[in-house]
Amino acid sequence: MNDPAAQPDLAAHNEASWREGIKTGVPTLFGIGAWGLVVGVAMIKSGLTVPQALGMTLFVFAGSAQLASLPLIAASAPIWVIFATAVVVNLRFVIFSALLAPHFASLPWRQRLMLGYVAGDMTVAIYLQRYPEIRPEPGKLSYLKGLLYPNWAAWQVGSIAGIFLGNMVPTEWGLGFAGTLAIVCILVPMVASKPALCGVLVAAAVSVLAAGLPYKLGLLAAVLVGMVTAMAVEEIGFKKANKHV
Amino acid sequence: MSDLEIWITIGALVIATAITRSSFWVIGQHVTIPTRVNEMLRYAPSCALAAIVGPDLLMNPGSLAIDVLNPKLVAGLASIGWYLFRRNMLETIVFGMLLFTALRLLHLF
Repeated sequence: MNDPAAQPDLAAHNEASWREGIKTGVPTLFGIGAWGLVVGVAMIKSGLTVPQALGMTLFVFAGSAQLASLPLIAASAPIWVIFATAVVVNLRFVIFSALLAPHFASLPWRQRLMLGYVAGDMTVAIYLQRYPEIRPEPGKLSYLKGLLYPNWAAWQVGSIAGIFLGNMVPTEWGLGFAGTLAIVCILVPMVASKPALCGVLVAAAVSVLAAGLPYKLGLLAAVLVGMVTAMAVEEIGFKKANKHV
Repeated sequence: MSDLEIWITIGALVIATAITRSSFWVIGQHVTIPTRVNEMLRYAPSCALAAIVGPDLLMNPGSLAIDVLNPKLVAGLASIGWYLFRRNMLETIVFGMLLFTALRLLHLF
């Protein structure tokens, strides 16, 4: 199906890009690990056994869906309800996969499935800052892997530590705030343009106002309203620019 | 829930995550997204990140009430300043955590 000679650059290992990916991702790892820790502690506190919690973090690897499922498991909700909740909580990833997948369309489907499965919020944002264009470029895959693998490992180390430390980590320490700070740092260079800045501010406002919605739908609403806002600001900017021509 | 039911639930969560995260990776080449929509999607990652941190910075975690002057927001804003000044993420995270912890222990807000 896929002629390897047609796309020699994409799949080939590129040492420089791999190192660049790792170097870019390293500062986020402490935030990721702290978030993993918080989720690990939450799993144990909700009543999962150590093997169950380890299985959940190693196989599911989706913090927000895991957190949403915990009270439902504790309340013995029907499994299809938990499944539907996880799908809705994860809906933003459908948008992310639509953005990232075209970059790697020539890879075998198993590899695409796995790459998509481990691509979380921060990874997607950092990758698209570096490679905004879909066109094939050498080193793209190595850069993505350089972001993904340490990110996965840091999450698991944090999460497993949380599972074993359990109640020894007081919630008031607010360790999860390290993850928030990492995201804030990633966001700063992303809002260099006026449309992006407006979109981000509106998305943050909507996320707060709609935080009470079930299934984390406030998050999805914030993404949608933020995107539309950014696009509208961009359009107004174009119209103004055209008037002066 | 029994042990078996919890493991089945974990399997259901794996499928839910695979469906959402890998959807376009696996079937994407059969779907064409209109250019206009694609242009709009470019803003999705930054909006999603903002929506993830928004409630953590602006809300009281216990009551879901909007809380504009709290240790996290003050430490978060100071961290943005620190990052703009130093351009170093790790340093910013350490700075922000120290400031947040100090503000929390001093009960200034």
